[in-house]
Amino acid sequence: MIPDFTGRIVGRRALPAIVMALIAGCLCPARAQTSSRERIKAFAKLPDWSGFWEWDVLVGQADGQQLSPEGLGKVQAYTAAVHPAFNAAWQAKYDQAKKALDVAVAAAPDQPPATYQPCVAPPFFLATAQPGIYEWRVTPEETTLISTMGSVRHIYTDGRAHPPKDELWPTNMGDSVGHWEGDTLVVDTVATKPEIRVPERDIFFTVIPMSDQLHFVERIRMVNRNEMQIQFTTEDPIALAKPMNVTLTWVRVTNTNRMTEENDCDPATDRNPVVNGRFTTVVR
Amino acid sequence: MRAKIALASLVFFAGIVLAIPAFAHHSHAMFDSTKQVTLVGTVKEFDWDNPHCWIQVLVPDPNNSQAAPVEWGVEMDSPLALYRRGWRPGSLKAGDEITVVINPLRDGRTSGQLVSVTGPDGKIIGHPAEVTK
Repeated sequence: MIPDFTGRIVGRRALPAIVMALIAGCLCPARAQTSSRERIKAFAKLPDWSGFWEWDVLVGQADGQQLSPEGLGKVQAYTAAVHPAFNAAWQAKYDQAKKALDVAVAAAPDQPPATYQPCVAPPFFLATAQPGIYEWRVTPEETTLISTMGSVRHIYTDGRAHPPKDELWPTNMGDSVGHWEGDTLVVDTVATKPEIRVPERDIFFTVIPMSDQLHFVERIRMVNRNEMQIQFTTEDPIALAKPMNVTLTWVRVTNTNRMTEENDCDPATDRNPVVNGRFTTVVR
Repeated sequence: MRAKIALASLVFFAGIVLAIPAFAHHSHAMFDSTKQVTLVGTVKEFDWDNPHCWIQVLVPDPNNSQAAPVEWGVEMDSPLALYRRGWRPGSLKAGDEITVVINPLRDGRTSGQLVSVTGPDGKIIGHPAEVTK
């Protein structure tokens, strides 16, 4: 009689199965080792995107958050580029929303309307064009983008497809899958919140609802040691007359070696609370 | 004493394009970036916290040394953003005599967003806004 792994006594007929189980158990570490070697090889094929990155418009930003003249020029160029070519029906929606925004701004210039939720990680795709620092974590199975403004993007590169439609729901970052074409990461994103935020002046956005076919493709690569480019295509055949293409540039951060959260707010002490949909300033 | 010769002056910069607020935690439309106010006074409190650091500065009336000083609030960037530009949590402490340049609130209340700070040693702390002439 032979004791099994739970201490029970089993018959001789169980012996072959136990021997097989033991052999399999002995093989497991070897199998894991092989897998590790393969994984290390897979890592070696990936580009080195380590370090910290920031959106190029923010280089030279001052202590009070004012952009430098160079940064201002860049943000104006981005603002012009990030303006979708809506079809006629959606253009009418945009015109109406833009007019409402202008009226709201003019009504109380001292208390600008809050066209986004402060102290919450910005939604896709603003999540790639926001203040703060970005860090990539590139692995064979997933590339993760972490921001000091609180957003985290998971881009799965293990060959999976998006989940079926009945398993998707809108989230801030949506569902992203990617693959490598040489040193370029090609990312396909669906299931974001069904809206586009069109940047206007200051940091006002005209928020436009989009269709459930809203879909993003990015081509991300490190152009050189100090610069990354994100070619961004926004598609929505129901709302857009043609896809919108924007190229964002990120530059390497050289003035810190640490990331810390910089978008958390304590409602009890926040001195810029949103009251009735408008930003206010608490003066002590 | 510098605080006794405190001066709060409103300066209009005709012909100078000031830097413009970036995409940030909140809109900066409440600040008038075409105007600058220079405050000379004493730090009451330096609040190093997300999402924005703040300096509370007590500014005496230069024409009336008996009058109570006026408290101004100066909004800055986030701690990490300031850290990257040379600021530290201990860069200012209560009692420090400083000169602060701000873009004031449009509504006239005693607050504004930071343009530059000159510390007790007479040196600018961090990186002030660049301007284009």
